[in-house]
Amino acid sequence: MNADGPVVNVHVLFFAKSRELANTPRSTVDVPTEITANELLDHLVSKFGLISIRDNLILAHNESYIDNLSDRILFKEGDELAVIPPLSGG
Amino acid sequence: MDHVKLVNDPIDIAHIHQLLADEGCGASSVFVGTTRDNFQGKKVLSLAYEAYDSMALKEMNKICSDLRSKWLDLKHIVIYHRLGTVPVCQASVVIAASSPHRSEALESVSFAIDQLKTRVPIWKKEIYEGDNDSEWKENKESIRPKKSKSGFNYAACPCKVEESHDVPRTLVQIRVNDAELAKRLECFVNRKRDEINSQNVIDFKSSFVSSDKDLSDSCARTQSTIIKQEQSNCHLKVRRVNNRCGPQQMEMRPNYELELNKLMGSRDGQTDPTKEMRKSLPNSRLQAIESYMGLTTDNEENIFSRIKRVENRLLQLESISPEYRHFTKREPSSMEAAPPKKIRKKSYSAQELSAFIQKVKDGSEFS
Repeated sequence: MNADGPVVNVHVLFFAKSRELANTPRSTVDVPTEITANELLDHLVSKFGLISIRDNLILAHNESYIDNLSDRILFKEGDELAVIPPLSGG
Repeated sequence: MDHVKLVNDPIDIAHIHQLLADEGCGASSVFVGTTRDNFQGKKVLSLAYEAYDSMALKEMNKICSDLRSKWLDLKHIVIYHRLGTVPVCQASVVIAASSPHRSEALESVSFAIDQLKTRVPIWKKEIYEGDNDSEWKENKESIRPKKSKSGFNYAACPCKVEESHDVPRTLVQIRVNDAELAKRLECFVNRKRDEINSQNVIDFKSSFVSSDKDLSDSCARTQSTIIKQEQSNCHLKVRRVNNRCGPQQMEMRPNYELELNKLMGSRDGQTDPTKEMRKSLPNSRLQAIESYMGLTTDNEENIFSRIKRVENRLLQLESISPEYRHFTKREPSSMEAAPPKKIRKKSYSAQELSAFIQKVKDGSEFS
């Protein structure tokens, strides 16, 4: 992820398997104000050691799923990102 | 009413029934999901649930509103999910609904549990008998990453290029991550599409563009002609399309060779005129036409491409003001007008035409 444009600091939450791999339930990360979900995911995966589950992860931005990895996401300072492995509620 | 909760203590089913109670309701349906004590032969000791609390509640409320929009008669909806450690055989989730008649209650509860498993961010880990053996479960219904347009994982592709070696000249080596590569490919495809589209525009609209481009290999050329409706001021409504130049019209095209030979007074092309003559005579005539139409050409150029360009010019003028053809056509119309003939018919210059159009616009009658 190259920080060409402006960068903002956002919260990242980890759950279940991703929390165990990242070794923390939450962290912060600097992200460009605009980035595709795919690039963002790649960045998080490499930064927090989530390679083994990369293909199963989905992201949520401010508590909404990012349905398509090719979507562009716009960030504001303090936004909340969540790394979401396959769900197993119920 | 909607009751949505994440709880850390055992769920009291009797309490759920109280929440559902309503005098007007003849049916209440309660689904209780309980934890199993085994998985693939392994003995499960307990289950640990965790949730993205705020989002989970949001999604559970969303399910409630989905239910209400699908089944209008629902009275009460309860969605409780337990978090933390849940011993086996205890309720981990309860979904319940009450309604005047049973079908709404039954169907909505079934729909709700499917939705919950699909999109409410809650996870469970099964803890098995034995040393530190545990596993995060995955619902088969779970929301999953959609494969992006090009879901191909380039990085996973085996590609043996030894680092030290020069890359063969015919290859281009691109070192970027998958997202970037996918983006570049997408851009490439889009650009190709744009090129094709712009070519199609040229082909179908007759060229407004530079006369220096050789378009002789374009296959589609349509010529639109306006037929004015009575009393209509409309300038643009095309009522008929003459497809004169497309491949399907080949047979209707003037036979240039024949026409030229006619003009030269030699049908077989072998007799009198020398090659020089054959070239120079039509040249001078064409040149006159070309200069009249404001085209610049090189005398050495292929005569057919020059004629084509003249035609294009005519098409362009006609497309700028399709009507003029009708006014200038004084002789009985003939589809097969040979190019020189056509050109003779054209008796308006572009300026005259625009002046004419202006006149029509200003409302003065033309007869």
